[in-house]
Amino acid sequence: MTISAFVVPILLITLLIYASIKKVNCYSSFVDGAKSAINLSFDIFPFLVAIFLAVELFRVCGLAEMLAQFLSPVFEFVGIPKELSNLVMIRPFSGSASLAICEEIFETFGPDSYVSRCASVIVGSSETVFYIATIYFSKTKAKKLLYAIPIALLCTIVGAIFSCWICKVI
Amino acid sequence: MRKVWFILICSSLIVLCLKNPEECISAMMRAGQNALQLGLKLCGIYAIWLGFLGIVDKSKLSEKIASLLSPVVDFLFGKNLNQETKKFLAMNLSTNILGIGNASTPLGIKAMQGLDKQNNSEIASTAMIMLLVVSATSLQLLPTTIVGLRASLGSTSSSDIILPSIITTVLTTLLGITLVKVISKLKMQKFSLKKCEKVVKK
Repeated sequence: MTISAFVVPILLITLLIYASIKKVNCYSSFVDGAKSAINLSFDIFPFLVAIFLAVELFRVCGLAEMLAQFLSPVFEFVGIPKELSNLVMIRPFSGSASLAICEEIFETFGPDSYVSRCASVIVGSSETVFYIATIYFSKTKAKKLLYAIPIALLCTIVGAIFSCWICKVI
Repeated sequence: MRKVWFILICSSLIVLCLKNPEECISAMMRAGQNALQLGLKLCGIYAIWLGFLGIVDKSKLSEKIASLLSPVVDFLFGKNLNQETKKFLAMNLSTNILGIGNASTPLGIKAMQGLDKQNNSEIASTAMIMLLVVSATSLQLLPTTIVGLRASLGSTSSSDIILPSIITTVLTTLLGITLVKVISKLKMQKFSLKKCEKVVKK
């Protein structure tokens, strides 16, 4: 925790010193760079709405939990505790929702229990696949992603299984 | 993506109709508001990172990073890329590794656009798929959010999940890269086989 807190500030200090040695106008380059953020967020907004709508409906209607319950024997078979099946389900869709589930797990089982540690590693080692897929492909002509999403999801599941296993070992 | 979206929305709406149709509209409105909230938040966050990246760019550091990482970029995404795209790819990879996910997203979008321009087709190229898989398997080495959450809930050793997370993330990323490489090779073989067959038939 302490080390990771230093990484970004130190990098930025190095950057600023390097830039001033190179006689770059830091202020105006910063402003120029920041300008493009507005357009970028304008462009990704409709895609955000689309994915949020799908995720929210999927959660509210209870399908997510049903699917998690349905799949929990499968998950348990491959070594993922059944308390975590919900988390594994929601992880590819929404970062904030999976953090909320994580918090719940921490509170019920205590943050240092095996289940909580698994949950942390699962969240820490994976990404919101669907969110990234929509955002990254928001400005492209190519809309057919072929096997990209299946592979990303497969990696997420393998990662989850491996997380639970490595938590047992370490 | 469109298939996934369609199935998700349809099945959820059907289940909602059966269970509690009152929830439907409020859930949709909530989704829209949440999306706007996140969008605004992201706009602010992106502005900060893109600002610093502007300095990186002007001071020609990005070219340095690109040439430093160029063997990696060449291996993952192929050799015939233009300088601009290569730069974004290298920067995206490095921010990813540092765990500044919010800085790597705008770079990823720009890199993806560059790859898209070269690809110029409805179907994603192997390099584009590779970029998605590498980002989606998250090569981040410092899962700061989750460590913070653990600490705030009274964990005695909040950071002892970092090492297992790193091992897992490296493993899944390697798995993803291998799978993309293997599948694209298989596809190429199939493609050339088909070509051969056509030639033979003629």
